[in-house]
Amino acid sequence: MYLRTEKVCKYFGGLRAVDQVDFRLKKTQLKSIIGPNGAGKTTLFNLIAGVHRPTGGKVFFEDREITRLPLHRISRMGITKTYQITHVFPSLTVYENVRIAAQSRVTSFNFWDSTHRLGEVNAKSLRILEQVELIEKRNWLASTLSHGERKYLEIGIALATEPKILLLDEPTAGMSCAETNLCAELIQKLNRELGLSILLVEHDMSVVMGISDEVLVLNEGKVLAEGTPRQVSDNAEVQRVYLGER
Amino acid sequence: MERSEGDTRPVRTLLKDVQARPGTTTLWVTMAVLAVLPFVISAPLASEILIWGIFGLGFNLLLGYTGVLSFGHAAYFGLGAYSAGLAFRYWQASIWTGLLLGVASAMLLACVIGALAIRKRGVYFAMISLAFGQMLYFLALSPLKEITRGEDGLTRIPIIHLFSISLNRPRPLYYFIFCITGLMLWLTWRILHSPFGKLLQAFRENEERARACGFNTTLVKFFSLVLSAFYAGLAGALDTVYLGYVPLTTLFWLTSGTMVMMTILGGKGTFLGPLVGAGVFLFLQNTISLLTPRWELFVGAIFVAIILLFPAGILGTIRDRVHAHQMKKLKKAADAA
Repeated sequence: MYLRTEKVCKYFGGLRAVDQVDFRLKKTQLKSIIGPNGAGKTTLFNLIAGVHRPTGGKVFFEDREITRLPLHRISRMGITKTYQITHVFPSLTVYENVRIAAQSRVTSFNFWDSTHRLGEVNAKSLRILEQVELIEKRNWLASTLSHGERKYLEIGIALATEPKILLLDEPTAGMSCAETNLCAELIQKLNRELGLSILLVEHDMSVVMGISDEVLVLNEGKVLAEGTPRQVSDNAEVQRVYLGER
Repeated sequence: MERSEGDTRPVRTLLKDVQARPGTTTLWVTMAVLAVLPFVISAPLASEILIWGIFGLGFNLLLGYTGVLSFGHAAYFGLGAYSAGLAFRYWQASIWTGLLLGVASAMLLACVIGALAIRKRGVYFAMISLAFGQMLYFLALSPLKEITRGEDGLTRIPIIHLFSISLNRPRPLYYFIFCITGLMLWLTWRILHSPFGKLLQAFRENEERARACGFNTTLVKFFSLVLSAFYAGLAGALDTVYLGYVPLTTLFWLTSGTMVMMTILGGKGTFLGPLVGAGVFLFLQNTISLLTPRWELFVGAIFVAIILLFPAGILGTIRDRVHAHQMKKLKKAADAA
């Protein structure tokens, strides 16, 4: 099993944001996590990526326990998350944003060589900018990008850390219909062509049902259902939570 | 669309606009200006500007590029000054030993303060560094009076020689400091264009994202602090050589405050900002204090005016305008395409 959690919990005071969640992600699988607002989706992401430490339970990646590792160690092991509210480096250029992430795999505290000598890092950054279709805007300051473009830059930064698992937190939030479809295509391409394992939190049901291999439904911090998109949308419990009692 | 791994040629051509080899024109122009400075203003004033400029280059790495405000940099500056002064006075140390001791002691202190305070953020870090700074001030004032001479400052420092040239004459002293300034400017230039330099800026822009990219940001902050103490210690030791004694005020919080002011005045986060800030500050202070004993009043008013005109500091505001202009051009080009 590639990534799995064992009864993982996170309490904020009396609030049980994530409550004994067990789930697993197979290699090269694209799995979506859905659920109403406040179901604990983002918190679950933060527990896996190391932003928060779980109150209880364990997280395993490639059969090694990663429960208490700090964010930067988990990132180096190959799990990278993108942020729901974009977290880019606003006063650096688009290119520099991606290059910072790319250089993390090569060097940290090299204060002597000029960055233009990091040939492979720079080439990789440009390749990624092509993938996320920001190559034309490489010299723009990140703060001048549109919302949708920033979301793509988010993904670009995450890709530059060479992840094995990509955690995408609402990548299409705030995008127009056309933008959403393009973004879904991009995610599918990353999964199919690069073989990335992807964990996706998403509100747009057409995206989720269209591209996921499996879907996990959370409600009030607990797992409500898990299965293929078909199974989940036929599940009576899920329908009750999403559509109300009949 | 996909570029193959070995093919670096087309990337090279693209790199020209993305990031060309950093030009060194700024460095050479600055050095040319500084070379003639003692013919425009008095050599002692010019020396003082360079000393505070070196201090500022390091402080700016921390405040301007890493985004960490230390309000206790007097501790590193003062400790550098005292270490060099004590070595000169009690051991008749050579200039190189004095400078080395100043730098080493300041960096060591930064390691200690860093280890204790580095996890604190924002204003908490500023306050803790202020507390450490004041602690050193009061230590030098009274418990260590026997060695530091307390309130009188450390006097009776012998004349320092550099290869048999005595450094109590203004011009030779200036050009000695000028050479060191050149080295420090070059070092800063290299740091800013290095992967670590970019990492500092990433830390300033978004610490959590930098961590999510796999960087140990606590260490980044720590190294940035120690690095800036390196500059401060060197500047402190040079100040001892320049003044011929060590005033107790080098350790006082006002020294830290002056540094913050100079950096903000010149433009934090710009390469030459601190040097310009130190120049403007000290020039105004010197000129106006000749005319009136109430010089603080006038200098203060001028600072307020400068900050109103240049909200991001003199060079900071100019840089922002240049950036805005470049962005406009890029947007126009994108619209045309």
